[in-house]
Amino acid sequence: MSLLKAEDITVSQGDTPILHPVSLHLEPGEPLVILGETGSGKSLLAQAIMGTLPRDLAARGRVALGDRLLDAARPDGFRPLWGRQIAVLPQEPWLSLDPLMQAERQVTETHRLVRGLGTTEARVQAAADFDHLGLTGAGHRYPHELSGGMAQRAAIAAARAGGARIVIADEPTKGLDAARRDEVADLLLAELARGGGLLVITHDLALARRVGGRMIVLREGRVVETGPTKTVMDAPTQTYTRDLIAADPDNWAARDRQTAGAPVLTATGLAADRGGAQLFSDLSFDLAEGRILGVTGPSGCGKSTLGDVVLGLVPPSAGRVKRSEGLAPTAFQKLYQDPVAAFPRHRTLKGTLEDVARRHGQTQDRIDALMHRLGLAPVLLLRKPDAVSGGELQRLALLRLLLVRPKFIFADEPTSRLDPITQKHVIDLLCETAATEGCAIMLISHDPALVARTADQMLSLDPAAPNLDVTPTRVAGALQ
Amino acid sequence: MTDTVMIPRPAGHAVRWTGAALVAAVLVLALIGPLAVPGDPFAQSLLKALSGPEAGAPLGYDHLGRSIFHRLAHALRLSPTIALAAVLTAGLAGLVLGTFAAARGGWTDRVLITLADALLALPGLLLVLIMLAIVPGTALGFWAGLSLVLWVEFFRLTRATTRETLASPAVQATRLLGFGPTYVFRTHIWPEIAPMMLTAAAFGTATAIMAIAALGFVHVGMRAPTPELGLMMVELLPYWREAPLALLSPVIATFALLLGLTLLAGSRET
Repeated sequence: MSLLKAEDITVSQGDTPILHPVSLHLEPGEPLVILGETGSGKSLLAQAIMGTLPRDLAARGRVALGDRLLDAARPDGFRPLWGRQIAVLPQEPWLSLDPLMQAERQVTETHRLVRGLGTTEARVQAAADFDHLGLTGAGHRYPHELSGGMAQRAAIAAARAGGARIVIADEPTKGLDAARRDEVADLLLAELARGGGLLVITHDLALARRVGGRMIVLREGRVVETGPTKTVMDAPTQTYTRDLIAADPDNWAARDRQTAGAPVLTATGLAADRGGAQLFSDLSFDLAEGRILGVTGPSGCGKSTLGDVVLGLVPPSAGRVKRSEGLAPTAFQKLYQDPVAAFPRHRTLKGTLEDVARRHGQTQDRIDALMHRLGLAPVLLLRKPDAVSGGELQRLALLRLLLVRPKFIFADEPTSRLDPITQKHVIDLLCETAATEGCAIMLISHDPALVARTADQMLSLDPAAPNLDVTPTRVAGALQ
Repeated sequence: MTDTVMIPRPAGHAVRWTGAALVAAVLVLALIGPLAVPGDPFAQSLLKALSGPEAGAPLGYDHLGRSIFHRLAHALRLSPTIALAAVLTAGLAGLVLGTFAAARGGWTDRVLITLADALLALPGLLLVLIMLAIVPGTALGFWAGLSLVLWVEFFRLTRATTRETLASPAVQATRLLGFGPTYVFRTHIWPEIAPMMLTAAAFGTATAIMAIAALGFVHVGMRAPTPELGLMMVELLPYWREAPLALLSPVIATFALLLGLTLLAGSRET
């Protein structure tokens, strides 16, 4: 018997349907993955099933949970089930744990108040949960004293303490690097092995592959494809699914290595620290026109700082960056991780771009030509930055840089907030820019596959691995 | 994607319009009233002392037989004018110094913030009284004293917002693109500060009008026979039994003006 069965779930805002009828069922021991881009309606589907939709959205459909039958149009009926039947795994564990309360007490509290155990019993149970999740001895720490993985496990323990058999994980790997992503997937599967149901909502193909089970692919509120995850991913029948899978960096074709043009910059013996702790030291490399330097490493290892040092925004604690002679002061530019934060938020994009064009003696024609080349609709220009999608805005940010005719672009995780298909598009444009504009690019990403298939030179800032540039350039740099 | 709970918004528009209407009503009384019903706020007619409303004096007469309507209109021009002048001066000083402190940082910032904190530690009315004693002319003294008290608020707001804005990626990007400080101020800082400045200005005006009235009420502000809100109240207080309307007129006018300004300031959606 299914743990959960949802039939003809729809979500609409006023008269506009956002999610077209979707049916799904969740079996014990078999995970279900809902795959889709941002805006595909995957989170709305989960919220409709849990009865947590924002108030201006209306859901319809039937949800059968065990022997209960619920109406999705009346979310109040779901409330008693939260924590007891359905548990939601928080996206960012640090934010969902109480920062002023010891980890184990938060789990004890759920055992006592949601499941209704006695005080002593709840404490014993919480300690057992922690042992089970490999958190023995960490119970008395506060959330900020836990590592990301430990916090995630503590959050899982708290979410599960109410005795729910169904776990819904909404983008559980958002912003995590590859190693942590696998850790979370394994943890979810371990929960599943206890006979519960698991619903994973994600745009992360690697996570989907690892979780397995069955899959529903959503696009713009409609089901595109369903089937066993392995079958769908290995042999997709729909064009959209094929595009989505092809857009995974693991499946990209490697870019042709470019021959280096005139040198743009030389960095020698760079070091930087933050708050007294050394981030990196003795980094040497040089970059020439048309080349892409890929920088990888786990979060917090100083990738962005390295870029800022090269741009001259942050002084290095040792070493120096030498720009080639004759370059304009504005020849070094930066492409930001969050494009919305990089534009003046009260000005229309047209205004901002025209200001830049005027400042650098470019004409409106140049803007139009670039708009066309980057595949952007002119109507976007009339909007303000927050009314444009992330992928479009990142392309507009690239356009803004190109108006300056840069020789070096520091791209700081430019696609980490974009969907796979959009990500591929933006990275392709970036590679094209390097070639056509004769621009050196320093591309930072936490995704090693993406960097490996894009960059001409690689630099790893992983503290565990030696800081080695694997190309001969590094050796040449060191000899200078 | 959004999992925020929608909270029904208070009717910001209604509040704002009520505030605007109250302020407008008071201003109409002050500016157009004397044109509609001509009269002299200083002319005495002891025979008419404390008598009720008539055609030439719609709000009746005070204890010296002066038209309360005309005295009130005069008072409602005087206090807001001083208050506005003080707010403009304070706003400009706060804006310039706040931006300067945030942009320069270091010693400039530390000296200015210490000065602002020191002024904040003194009671505002005391500062105004000191300035009244130093500066010749009561109106000028009020302007100087109130400016000195009010600039701190504008300074702190500007400094905090500017610091945050200057540290944002958007400003960093603009600078990398080759724009100078003027452009950064115009496109990044001013649009962030402007709405806050308006709110602070409305509150500041209310504070200033209140301060002038309070000092008038305790006989250390405007001197008789100048019609001033606080002074009118304290003059008419002994006759509240004989002429309640005479006392209530300045009280209601002050209340309406302050409430209007406060509603106007508080209704802005941030």
